[in-house]
Amino acid sequence: MAAQQQRLDGVANDLANANTNGYKRVRVGFADLLYERGGRPTTSDAAQLGTGARTIDGGRSFEQGNLRDTGVPTDVALEGPGFIRIKLPDGRDALTRDGDLQIDANRRLVTSTGATVSPTITLPAGVDASQLAINRDGTVLAAGRAVGRIAIVNVRSPQSLQSVGDNAFVTTARSGNAAAAPGTILRQGALEASNTDMAQAMTDMIEVQRAYQMTSKAIQTADQMMEIANGVKR
Amino acid sequence: MDRGLYIAASGMLAEQVRQDQIANDLANATTAGYKADRTAQATFGQLLLNNSVTGAAVGSQSTAVQVTSVVTDFTPQPLKDTGEPLDFAINGDGFFAVQTAAGTRYTRNGQFNADANGRLVTLTGDPVLGRNGRPLAVGADGKVDPRALNVVNLRDPRKQGDNLVAGTPAGQATGQARAGALEGSGADPTQAMVDMIASTRAFESGQKVIQTIDETLGKAATTVGSLN
Repeated sequence: MAAQQQRLDGVANDLANANTNGYKRVRVGFADLLYERGGRPTTSDAAQLGTGARTIDGGRSFEQGNLRDTGVPTDVALEGPGFIRIKLPDGRDALTRDGDLQIDANRRLVTSTGATVSPTITLPAGVDASQLAINRDGTVLAAGRAVGRIAIVNVRSPQSLQSVGDNAFVTTARSGNAAAAPGTILRQGALEASNTDMAQAMTDMIEVQRAYQMTSKAIQTADQMMEIANGVKR
Repeated sequence: MDRGLYIAASGMLAEQVRQDQIANDLANATTAGYKADRTAQATFGQLLLNNSVTGAAVGSQSTAVQVTSVVTDFTPQPLKDTGEPLDFAINGDGFFAVQTAAGTRYTRNGQFNADANGRLVTLTGDPVLGRNGRPLAVGADGKVDPRALNVVNLRDPRKQGDNLVAGTPAGQATGQARAGALEGSGADPTQAMVDMIASTRAFESGQKVIQTIDETLGKAATTVGSLN
């Protein structure tokens, strides 16, 4: 039951983020627990009894979300595997697929949550967002002059990235270091939608609920049997 | 004491084992590639009863019930489409080979991941083996050709937990690996519910037998010897 509850938490999180740009749905895995010898009424080693189920972290599903055209010059969407490299306000390097970029008070390119694009791209004074052009390889042109390049990177094991909230991920020992992702292109004026599949999330939720209900029935039955055992002595 | 008492108690214990097995099946009703169990019960040694006056055989009498084995049903289950590039399912018979600290193990749960070295690993971090017996590398596009996965037949497969199965490999299996799908759990919830009811009732019958024998013994202790 505890395992099903964790899965439901995952599905609920996915549904809550159905409209979050660049959100990647959670992948939950299940495993059976250890098998043990049955004890007294069992008479051979062939009688092994299972001890339940647990969830295992499957990371995120990095399936491409749909691209949505916004026409906003500072919006970028990644097509293909990879991330935009950013620096979080607390100084950590992180990765994101949320390309809802903005220009802050210091004329730097930042994400919607205030993390700066890394390496920092500062727009020259007097250039506004409409004069901004972002190439497929990430090169940023302000009024025709190159001012920097948005780094498109990927890791060996994206599923092992650690989510730190605000659509950002940090690398871990299991994910490997970030390296350039040459095959991935940036599209200006578009955003990547969440890859939560509503229909899938709904069916998952039904499945979770029923599995939960049936496991609770097993508990009820075990309880009933103990009551009967107690009833042996009247 | 009346031997029926102990026979009934052994029957109750056996039902309890069956209940544990059903609960485990239900807990794994959504575990990909899980295989359901069946509890096999058998009679314990038989006693030949003789008529103490004539010496003629009356018939045999069982002394208890025992659980001889929990048999796992390895029948392939329907595949579920997930669209994940690193989810694999075997269409037909066979197992994926996995390299674990305890040696090569096998699994039908094809929910895999890539690790920091770009190898295909299970969600618990063990490398998945290819046809050449070595760990498989995940391609630059984040995919693995399902034909590269080793799908083997097993002799005497035994479940070990963590979705792993131990056994002796017996050549290539006929099953085909497919990407973007997972095998459903083999636990049949309807069957489990029915089994659970049957098991509870059998347990209850055992209790009634004990109560009845107890009543008989009570009569023997109080009524037979009383003088009024």
